[in-house]
Amino acid sequence: MRRDTRDAFFYIGPSMIVLMIIAAVPLAVALGTSVTNWDLHRPEAREFVGLDNYIRLFRDDRFTSSIAVTIAFTTVSVGVSMVGGFVLALMTQRNFPLKNVVRALLTIPMITTPVVSATMFRVFFMDPDRGLLNWFLGVLGISGPAWVASWPWAFVAICAVQTWFMTPFVFLISDASMASLPQSVFDAAKMDGATYRQRVVRLVLPMLRDPLIFAAIFRITIDYRMFDTIYVLTRGGPARYTEVLSVWVYNRALRSFDIGYANAGSVVMAVIVAAVCLLLVLYNYRKREIS
Amino acid sequence: MSEQARMQQLRGPTGFTGVAGRRAMVTGAHTLLVALALFVTVFPLLWVFLGSFKLPADVMRLPPVLVFTPTIDNYLIVLRERFTFFFWNSVFVTCGSVIMTIMLGVPASYGLSRFRIPLKKTIMLLILGVRFAPYIIFALPLFLVMSELGVVGNRNALTFVYIIINLPVVIWLMRAFFDDIPVELDEAAEIDGASRFRAFLTILVPCAAPGIATVTILSFIFAWNEYLFALILSGRDAQTLTVGLTRFLGGMEDAIRWGQLSAWAIAIVAPVIIVSLLVNRQLRRGFSGAAS
Repeated sequence: MRRDTRDAFFYIGPSMIVLMIIAAVPLAVALGTSVTNWDLHRPEAREFVGLDNYIRLFRDDRFTSSIAVTIAFTTVSVGVSMVGGFVLALMTQRNFPLKNVVRALLTIPMITTPVVSATMFRVFFMDPDRGLLNWFLGVLGISGPAWVASWPWAFVAICAVQTWFMTPFVFLISDASMASLPQSVFDAAKMDGATYRQRVVRLVLPMLRDPLIFAAIFRITIDYRMFDTIYVLTRGGPARYTEVLSVWVYNRALRSFDIGYANAGSVVMAVIVAAVCLLLVLYNYRKREIS
Repeated sequence: MSEQARMQQLRGPTGFTGVAGRRAMVTGAHTLLVALALFVTVFPLLWVFLGSFKLPADVMRLPPVLVFTPTIDNYLIVLRERFTFFFWNSVFVTCGSVIMTIMLGVPASYGLSRFRIPLKKTIMLLILGVRFAPYIIFALPLFLVMSELGVVGNRNALTFVYIIINLPVVIWLMRAFFDDIPVELDEAAEIDGASRFRAFLTILVPCAAPGIATVTILSFIFAWNEYLFALILSGRDAQTLTVGLTRFLGGMEDAIRWGQLSAWAIAIVAPVIIVSLLVNRQLRRGFSGAAS
C-alpha cells in the first residue's frame, strides 16, 4: 500500500471529476430547484418557496400512492422472480440433452433491451383485440381483459414483464452457486434416505443463503427504480395505478412541467436510495462479524 | 415370479405408479417444465422475429399464422425511414461512452485498489450510491442544466452523460479484480526500473485483461439498452434506437407499421443477443460479479 495521495489522484481524479459533473451537480440542482415553484409553463415566475413542495408531497395522495405502487411492484416481481429463478436453476441441475444451449437461451430476457420487451409484450401479446394472449384465452373460452389499460391487469402486466426480464438473473446466480456446491453432501443425504424436497429445503437453501440474499438485494435495487418497462407499457396508467416513483417524477416534470415539485420527489427518492445503501452496508458488516 | 409379473410390479398396476413408472413420470414432468420455461423465454422474441418477415396482412392475423410468405420489405422500409440515423446515434453514444468509461474506470479502480487514500470507504460507498440510484434523479436536473447550456440533443453531451450508467459498475468490479492481483507484481516491475504508470500499463492492465473484457461487454449491453437518458436528453438530433422504437407506439392504428416495428425491435436486440451467446460464459461471470 502506498501513501502518496497526489499520485493516487492521477488515477482516481478524472473519474471523480466526471462523476461530480454528471452525478453530484445534478443532485445539487435537484435540491436547489426543489425549494422553488419553477414551472415550465411560467418560467419567469420562479420563486423560493421553502419546504412547500415537500409538504405538498406528503399531502398529495398521488405521490403516496406512487410509493405504494413502487413497493407493491417491487415486492411482487422480486418475489416471483426469486422463486422462479431458483426453481429453474434446480431444474437445470439434472442432466438432459442440449443442457448448455438451454441454459444459455434461458438467460436471453435479461440482456434483452427493456424497451423492446415492453413494446413487444404490449403490441403482440397484450393488445386486447389482436394480442396473442387474449386470442389464446378466447380459444379457452375466456374473454381476456384490456391488459395495459385496466385495473388490476395493468399492474399484473408490469409485474409479469419485469418478472420475465429478471427471472433469468436469479436463475443465473442460483445456477452458478449450485454448481459450486459439494456433490458428496447430497450423495450422503440421499444414502440416508432424504427425499428430494428435504435435500432442497434442508441443504440447498441454507447453503445458498448468501448468494440468494445478494440476488434479492440486487433485484430490489433494479425494480424500485424501473422506468423503461413501465413507461412503455402503461405510462403510469390507467389513472395512476402503475405510476411508480420514477414515472411519477417524469410525468410531473415533463408532462405537467412542474419542475420544482418533481425535483422534490426526486430528492425524496434519493433519500430512499441512501437508506437502501445504508442497509446494504449494515448487512455487509453483520456478515463480516459473523464470519 | 414370472418375468411379466416382475415388470408389472416395477411399473405398478397402472404402469405409472411403480418405481420405473415414477421415474419415467418425473423425467417426463421435468422435460415438460424445462420445455415450458424455454417456450416462455424464447417464444416472445421468436414471434417478433417471425413478424419482422411477414407481409402486413399476416403480422397481426388471428389465429396466428405460422406458415407465410417471407419478405424483407419491413427491413427495407425501416432502412429508408432514417433507421441509419438512429443506428449511428446508438453506436456513437454506446461506443463513445464505453471507451471513456473504461479509460476512466480502469485507472480509478487500480488507484482505489493500490493506494492509501483518505475517505476511501466513503468514496466507494458514494460510487455504490450512484450505481443504485434511480436514473431519473440525475436525468431531470441534467435536462435542466443542458437546456440552459443549449446542449440537449447534442450527441457528445449525451455520450458524456452515458458514462454514469457504467462507471460505478466498472470501478466496483475492476477494483475487486485488481485486489486479487498480488502487489508483488507491481513492486517487481518497479525494482526493474519501470515507473509506476508504466508498470500499470504494461503489467497490470494485461493481467487484468479478462476482467476488462467482461466489464466492457457488460457496459456495452447496459449502454445499448438504455432508454431514460436518451428519452429526456437526446432532443431531436441525438435520438437512439430505443427512442426511435417508441415512435411506433404513437400510430398503432396504422396496421402497416407492425412489421416494421418488429424489424426495428429485432435490429436493436440482435447485436446484444449475438454477443451474449458468443461470450455466454464471460457474461455469466460478469453478471454474478455485478450482483455481489
